[in-house]
Amino acid sequence: MWWYVGKRLLQAIPVFLGATLILFILLKLRPGDPILNLAGNKPVSQEVRDALAAQYHLDDPLFVQWFQFVKSAITFDFGETFAGQPVFDLIKETFPVTVTLAVMALSIDAILGITLGTIAGLRRNGWFDSSMLVISLAMLAIPIFVLGFVMQLIFGVKLGWTSPTVGSDWTIGDLILPAIVLAIANFAYTIRLTRTSVAENLSADHVRTARAKGLSERMVVRRHVLRNSLVPVVTYIGINLGSLMAGAIITETIFNIPGVGNAAYTAIFKGETSTVVAIVTFMVMVYVLMSLLVDLVYAVLDPRIRYA
Amino acid sequence: MRLTRRTRLAGVALIAAASLTLAACGGGSDSEGGGSNDNVITVYGTNPQNPLIPTATNEVGGGDPLNNLFSGLTAYNSDGSIVNEVAESIEPNEDSTVWTIKLKPWKFTDGTDVTSNSFVNAWNYGAKAENKQLNNYFFYPIAGTDDEGYTADGADTISGLKVIDDTSFTITLKSPESDFPLRHGYSAYFPVPDAAYDASGKITKEYGEAPIGNGPYKLTKAGWERNKQISLEPNPDYTGSHKPKNDGLVFKFYAGGGTDAAYTDVQSDNLDVLDQVPPSALTTFESDDQVSAFNEPGSSFSSMTIPERLEHFSGEEGKLRRAAISMAINRPQVTEKIFNNARTPATDFTSPVLDGWTEEVPGNEVLEFNEAEAKKLWAEADAIAPWDGSFQLAYNNDGAGNKEFVDAVTNQIKNVLGIDSSGKVYPTFDELRKEVTDRTIKTAFRTGWQADYPSMLNYLGPIYATGAGSNDGDYSNKAFDKLVSDASAAEGDERYKLISEAQTLLLEDLPAIPLWYQNATAVASKDLKGFEFNWQQKPDYYKLTK
Repeated sequence: MWWYVGKRLLQAIPVFLGATLILFILLKLRPGDPILNLAGNKPVSQEVRDALAAQYHLDDPLFVQWFQFVKSAITFDFGETFAGQPVFDLIKETFPVTVTLAVMALSIDAILGITLGTIAGLRRNGWFDSSMLVISLAMLAIPIFVLGFVMQLIFGVKLGWTSPTVGSDWTIGDLILPAIVLAIANFAYTIRLTRTSVAENLSADHVRTARAKGLSERMVVRRHVLRNSLVPVVTYIGINLGSLMAGAIITETIFNIPGVGNAAYTAIFKGETSTVVAIVTFMVMVYVLMSLLVDLVYAVLDPRIRYA
Repeated sequence: MRLTRRTRLAGVALIAAASLTLAACGGGSDSEGGGSNDNVITVYGTNPQNPLIPTATNEVGGGDPLNNLFSGLTAYNSDGSIVNEVAESIEPNEDSTVWTIKLKPWKFTDGTDVTSNSFVNAWNYGAKAENKQLNNYFFYPIAGTDDEGYTADGADTISGLKVIDDTSFTITLKSPESDFPLRHGYSAYFPVPDAAYDASGKITKEYGEAPIGNGPYKLTKAGWERNKQISLEPNPDYTGSHKPKNDGLVFKFYAGGGTDAAYTDVQSDNLDVLDQVPPSALTTFESDDQVSAFNEPGSSFSSMTIPERLEHFSGEEGKLRRAAISMAINRPQVTEKIFNNARTPATDFTSPVLDGWTEEVPGNEVLEFNEAEAKKLWAEADAIAPWDGSFQLAYNNDGAGNKEFVDAVTNQIKNVLGIDSSGKVYPTFDELRKEVTDRTIKTAFRTGWQADYPSMLNYLGPIYATGAGSNDGDYSNKAFDKLVSDASAAEGDERYKLISEAQTLLLEDLPAIPLWYQNATAVASKDLKGFEFNWQQKPDYYKLTK
């Protein structure tokens, strides 16, 4: 198995190179002029313009820029933001809160989604199943920013149960509301997916065999139905961690969470190529690692899957 | 290799541990924040984008803290007039080209004296291209700089600055400017102490992170915490006119500039002042009983520019068409319906907050909605050369309300003049500005101006004078240039008369079509007292208490 893990980690290298190159090309295609932006639309002499361009490597040909970036990235040197902060520090500052938020959302998503989905699947077409269908459709239909603002208004401003915004002195408690908001859209999918998967497995041969052996219903559900049903769900949830981190930007803005989504957004706006590339590359790596983790969890869930 | 039961358990434990560690990473810092002093005011801010050096800061995130950390030669009163701050006296010669400055005894917070050199060296530094400061532009009136405000020929110093002794120096200008002292409350002209420079004469990185100033406030020990906040406390040795009435200011940063989150924080008392109301709250903030609301005409001016170089917009034909378009726009309707009265229809090219502003500028009836006259002028232009094509107005979609107002204005033009008219969208401000700056833009575009110092001339010269830095439409009118330079040299009523005449010329030519003045809007928490807008559309921070 370790050989497999090693192989997968080696595969991350071409992914890293490819992703950064694509990012460089995309950012190059972004029209506009970062220097003009930096100067606040006041006249800048050619001399200063050149000096600034050189400082942020905006003047080199694309491949040279990319090569420079990769070379320094190996030593975790990602250059500086326009504000003079090392990009690596920015990432160190912003990643923990985003990761925590994503993991919290993911936990809510996984625990509630799988539980409710399983119950719905076991009582297929019952009242619980039907009401879950309606509720999850409703959750899918409400855009995240509507939900965010409404929940912020109700629980943060009107009821005062929690602080409506998070800010930089964040605590786990502050993040509960944003995590719920972030989890809700995915959570609806998880319910649907678990429910269908469980319902399918209920009529599978090995479940009938297990019942025939005289196993208790609880055992049957836990050992044979659920475990088999979880493979697609785990895939979905695992890949979700990446999109939760990348997609948290709306939630981050609504609740003023100083996370990585906001940092990337600000950087894209200012045309800070190196900052954007560094942040997005980190996200790509999170994706790569998560999909590796998902593959390994398969083996835990289903003994027939082996990695050699 | 097959996963054994043990490796499985280990795997689960690892995931659990990982999420706990990650969760723990951020939780720790709760105790240090807040510093719940009752009379410390928290205000909305964004992380500064440049080092906190007066000549390097050109955006509001760094500008607001700087304005409280430093004092210039003069300071602005709330109404835009000035009082001498560090200056004992600022005296012009006969034609207002040479200014002699005498300083009061004044200290930086590190205990060193503010001397003539504190000013002169800081300006020399800011104007030298090699130092890549971004406020070079502010030095262009001084002799010995080029049109962009850099020292001429890359010299180390500006030749127009002469130090006489520790407490006096002279400034020689390129041309007469009677309101020159008005500029000196602006942050680009603040003094910098000797401690800021390293052995090679460069301002150090450390200084840019924790500047030593001479203003009403100084940084607390925590100072600038990146992406979090900047904390200021009153400077006990400050003797100027902006003596703080509160026990400190905290500029709390909102990630990505999120004013929506800040608004919610004001509602729930987590933030005391938000100096710009988010578009989502504009319809409701004045009736929101959880906040105190403020809404007044402000100092930023919005217009649209139709350059002469566009087809059908040059010469006499262009003049007629511009006037027709101006009269086809129903400004009050747009400010009311689109902006919920957070804009005020323009009646000139400046701003109502300024000294000398008047509603009665001869010729400003061209800014009133007049369907019949608009049609008539358009027809006259068609007689010169028949119109073809479509009238497009370019805007940047990253500014709130731009799309809405452009849609409204182009629809009004379409309906009144019976021509095809629509908006042309640019995703970001800098993309629009790039095409405007390199003159490749093929349409009319939205423009605006926020003054750097409270003078009506600052709304005219830098935008419409021949060859001026922000003359996006390449407007050139010798008579206008002369009136502006005469007004610069004149004083009192004579000055305002000349300004009015210059504006009348602009109203004939319409190098930009004035649309509206942007109102200053703000919300504050209920228990905050002493809120008053100054001419920069900011509260006077030193007056705030609770």
